[in-house]
Amino acid sequence: MRAELNPINENLTEKHVVRRLMHYLVPFKSSLTAAFTLLLIGTAADVLGPIVMKIFIDNYLAPRYFPWQPLTFLGAGFVGLFAISALFNYLQVLMFQKIALNVVQKIRVDVFSKVQHLGLTFFDRTPGGSLVSRITNDTETIKDLYVSVLSTFVSSGIMMLGIFTGMFILDVRLALICLILMPFLLGLMWLYGRLSAKIYRVTRVKLSQLNAKLNESLQGMAMIQAMRQQKRMRREFGKINDEHRTAMLKSVRLNSLMLRSAVYSVYLLGLIMILSFFGIQSIGGVVQIGVLYAFVNYLDRFFDPVNQIMQQLTLYQQAVVSAERVFGLLDDPRMAPVQQGEKDPQIEEGRVEFKNVTFSYDGKTDVLKNISFTANPGETVALVGHTGSGKSSIINLLMRFYPVVHGSILIDGKPLTQYSDQQLRSRVGLVLQDPFMFVGTVAENIRLSHPVPDASVRDAARFVQADRFIEKLPHRYQERVGERGTTFSSGQRQLISFARTMTLEPKVLVLDEATANVDTETEEAIQRALQRMREGRTTIAIAHRLSTIQDADQILVLHRGEIVERGTHQSLLRKKGLYFNMYQLQHGKLAENEAAAGGKV
Amino acid sequence: MRIFVDLWWFFKQERLKYFFGITFLMLSSFLSLIPPYVVGIIVDDIRKRSLSLPVLAAWVGFLILIGTIYYFTGYVWRQLIFGSSIVLARQLRGDLYRHFTRMSPNFYQKRRIGDLMAHATNDINAVQSAAGEGILTLVDSITMGGMVIITMAALINWKLTIIALLPMPVMAVLTMYYGSLMHKRFGVAQEAFSDLNDKVQENISGVRVIKAFGEESAQINLFRTASQDVVNKNMAVARIDALFDPTITFIVALCFFLSLVFGSIFVVDGTLSIGKLTSFTLYLGQLVWPMLAFGFLFNVVERGNASYERIRRLLAVKPEVVSRPDASDKVPGGDIRYAIRSFTYPGSAATVLKNIHFTLGKGQTLGLVGKTGAGKTTLLRLLLREFDLTDGGIFIGGQSIMGMTLEALRSAIGYVPQDHILFSATIAENIAFARPDASREEIERAARLASIHEDILHFPDGYETVVGEHGVTLSGGQKQRVSIARALLADPEILIFDDSLSAVDARTETAILKALQQERRNKTTLISAHRLSAVEHANQIIVLADGQISEQGTHDELMKENGWYAEMYAHQQLESLVSEGGTNR
Repeated sequence: MRAELNPINENLTEKHVVRRLMHYLVPFKSSLTAAFTLLLIGTAADVLGPIVMKIFIDNYLAPRYFPWQPLTFLGAGFVGLFAISALFNYLQVLMFQKIALNVVQKIRVDVFSKVQHLGLTFFDRTPGGSLVSRITNDTETIKDLYVSVLSTFVSSGIMMLGIFTGMFILDVRLALICLILMPFLLGLMWLYGRLSAKIYRVTRVKLSQLNAKLNESLQGMAMIQAMRQQKRMRREFGKINDEHRTAMLKSVRLNSLMLRSAVYSVYLLGLIMILSFFGIQSIGGVVQIGVLYAFVNYLDRFFDPVNQIMQQLTLYQQAVVSAERVFGLLDDPRMAPVQQGEKDPQIEEGRVEFKNVTFSYDGKTDVLKNISFTANPGETVALVGHTGSGKSSIINLLMRFYPVVHGSILIDGKPLTQYSDQQLRSRVGLVLQDPFMFVGTVAENIRLSHPVPDASVRDAARFVQADRFIEKLPHRYQERVGERGTTFSSGQRQLISFARTMTLEPKVLVLDEATANVDTETEEAIQRALQRMREGRTTIAIAHRLSTIQDADQILVLHRGEIVERGTHQSLLRKKGLYFNMYQLQHGKLAENEAAAGGKV
Repeated sequence: MRIFVDLWWFFKQERLKYFFGITFLMLSSFLSLIPPYVVGIIVDDIRKRSLSLPVLAAWVGFLILIGTIYYFTGYVWRQLIFGSSIVLARQLRGDLYRHFTRMSPNFYQKRRIGDLMAHATNDINAVQSAAGEGILTLVDSITMGGMVIITMAALINWKLTIIALLPMPVMAVLTMYYGSLMHKRFGVAQEAFSDLNDKVQENISGVRVIKAFGEESAQINLFRTASQDVVNKNMAVARIDALFDPTITFIVALCFFLSLVFGSIFVVDGTLSIGKLTSFTLYLGQLVWPMLAFGFLFNVVERGNASYERIRRLLAVKPEVVSRPDASDKVPGGDIRYAIRSFTYPGSAATVLKNIHFTLGKGQTLGLVGKTGAGKTTLLRLLLREFDLTDGGIFIGGQSIMGMTLEALRSAIGYVPQDHILFSATIAENIAFARPDASREEIERAARLASIHEDILHFPDGYETVVGEHGVTLSGGQKQRVSIARALLADPEILIFDDSLSAVDARTETAILKALQQERRNKTTLISAHRLSAVEHANQIIVLADGQISEQGTHDELMKENGWYAEMYAHQQLESLVSEGGTNR
């Protein structure tokens, strides 16, 4: 399943993924610079604090020298420094957040746009649920990377650098000694990163197994109960549940061993080094207590960023996995067919021709074989045949949902591929079997995104006689349509979708007649509407009810991807072939049926 | 804090772990008070020039010792407290699962699987947090905070403690205020995100319409707007979220400032040493966490309460179909007699079945036909006791199915349902679902009977091919045949086919029916079908219409009756002719 969605892409190594993620930051160069500047100022103020304390202790407190003015100045400076630091840090965090959110916005729109231009070949093979999850949830995880991981890594890193700078200003030798701590810390981080990645992967796998088992059991509970396998399923679930617990306990153990406790040990090590340094110095000479105080203070602050970075490491792993999936989708090659060439022809008359079209969805079995027919401007061509005979595939190709590989389709004598999307979509109107409704108002559902005035929307509705029921709605054209339009009957949805097509006033009409049962009154309205819509338009129609296409100029009977019979209603009836049988089937002429069945034997 | 009372049973169950966990946690807090004190002493010694190398070495040794013990206690309490919370999660998850296996179909009809999943994931996580982080923050904010303050007041200077702590309550109040603001804004942001999710969902479902009307760019614009809305609402969250750190650092800095100013006054007074002042500021730093923990505590507890309540409500639902206490556990056999006056699904007004009376002799085959919604599936599922009858009864071998244990009843019956559920496992395991101990020969035999053996051999790993959500996708017909093989392997006394031949072609249907007749001689079979050819051979055929028996008899009798059955039969004969693409010339 995943393989379908995420074609194995050798280029997507972790390094590559991270580089690509960083690439998204390029357009934000100037904001990033500003954020960095704020961060530097904020950190600098933070770092200067202990130095001010050191000055106070060594220059004033220790010698008990308290001149009024310099001390007020120093005190105000101290508070001022922290006020500045607080303000700049606030702005800095906000700015990084803004950049991060905008980057994710960019990625999201990119993925979504990409998906809009993928072909139906892609959608046929990709479960909708996981696709939605790619666009929303996976990008949300990437957001964590930018929002938390990146800004924490940067600000923590800068903070640590700043503290070392402060230390070097105060005492170079001691600062050098403190540098000894770095290999310990980096080693700890590296080790934790590696170990946690491994354990994290296991817990993730276990968690998804746990959820899969639960989901599957809930869906198949009737079966489990009918076959009395409750005990076994409980046992199996219990096993995964235990494995998940074990994995979780492992991660707790790792965290207990390597996170705060371990970092605290390094802190104590640093403290011991500082105390020893000053202690030994004090035995032979003079020590500046203020420097000691400042160093202890620095050390205290140094470990907060360390803890924060270590906590972000798992988020980082998660984000890389999600980014891999998102980039996999962005790189998917199964694009929708697009205009070829520069010609940009217009559809004026609406002549449709299929010339020796052979088509296959999977490249193995042909669903259409050598299909040729012509629909002259204003004519109606009806496609009949049982399920799987290839009717829908003809429509799919005419709508350019799939590329034509063998043979060609011409509209007004020009290859279908030469038309622009805009031209094709506005001149060839499709009415789908199951009309899809968007959340919004009735008017919005009729208009979609086309710049059509309200009057035209009403005209279109009147034309297909959808106005009768719309006018009776409490809010008429402004009536809300809920998710999937479930508040409307299928017949009403059908009429709305007719109106939707009619606002475009297409030259070619492609109909996929509904099989759904609607009440007689609506059925009549639908038939009347279809009649009116077809007038003066070339129509390619899939008909399930043969009664509706008796006046078609041409009827094509399809069987297993081939046209087995063609002609008008009368000529086909006279042929007494497949069409004749189908017609009888629908009109329930039982006596003749018996004869037909007998004829088979 | 009600969650801690509600979870008391668990704390009692794991009392040793919690007792030692909390003890070690408090010990850790206490140990962390020592290094700052040592720093103070050394600073004073350095200042007084009284520090000697052996004394310094002793202190260093002491600190190393403290560090070692602290590392150990820290490890232990984390293991005990967080470990227990994971055990709790596992236990609740197991309880929920067990509960789910007891619930009858009516329970599942009323609830969405997504919601049930959410209980078993999100809600359990929230309760787990309450039992882990909740306990930690509760203990830490009270004991650690208390100990630090007491140490500062008792060992250093109580006046300075009060002065230095003056800004701290402001911090607690501010962070709590931010917390509640965050909560609200976060909710709004989540809503925007779920709107975005809905939008994408709609877009993916409506992909054909979107392409047909060239709506791609309009959709991208809508998405951009919705996604921008998510950005804006997240920025609103960020504006609060970003306040936490600067507020805390600034207020802590104020505390430092106050302690430095007033500490200096005390130092000049001679009531405080510089060393003590240094310790004091270090302790101040240690107060930040308990203050924050207090805020977290409220958050964790609030979510834990709500989640635990939901889990409890779910666990309190009583199973609707249960074995009676006096039920017999003897596996039933013999004639099946239906005597149903009427049946209505629980919580619904419409009568689904009415006046169903018939007897099916042991070893006979029943065919059940009728329009969609006529009640065929209901009639069959009642035999399995997926729902209980209230008006009438069903008897096997003269004994009411209500008087048998569910286990005994269901072990006599094999069921092939309408929608075929395969589990994520190998094909062999799926066929052997009801009899996991079946040998490979038995599995293959059942597969042959169901005409699926050849198909299986063509799968990448044969019988070891994994199917289901994460494996190979089977066609509808293949799924049906696997599920027939599954029922046949169990070789039950009574076998139910609930429209289980709908997705196989006519030839395969004939093959399966023939195998069935040979294989199940002297065993009872109930078949419901849309295609009448599937029941033609039955000893008795019942036509259901609107929940009542409208026609009854053998195939020949019904054909003579010239009713719905005869009409449908002729119709379907022609239909199959059409779908074969044949003409009658």
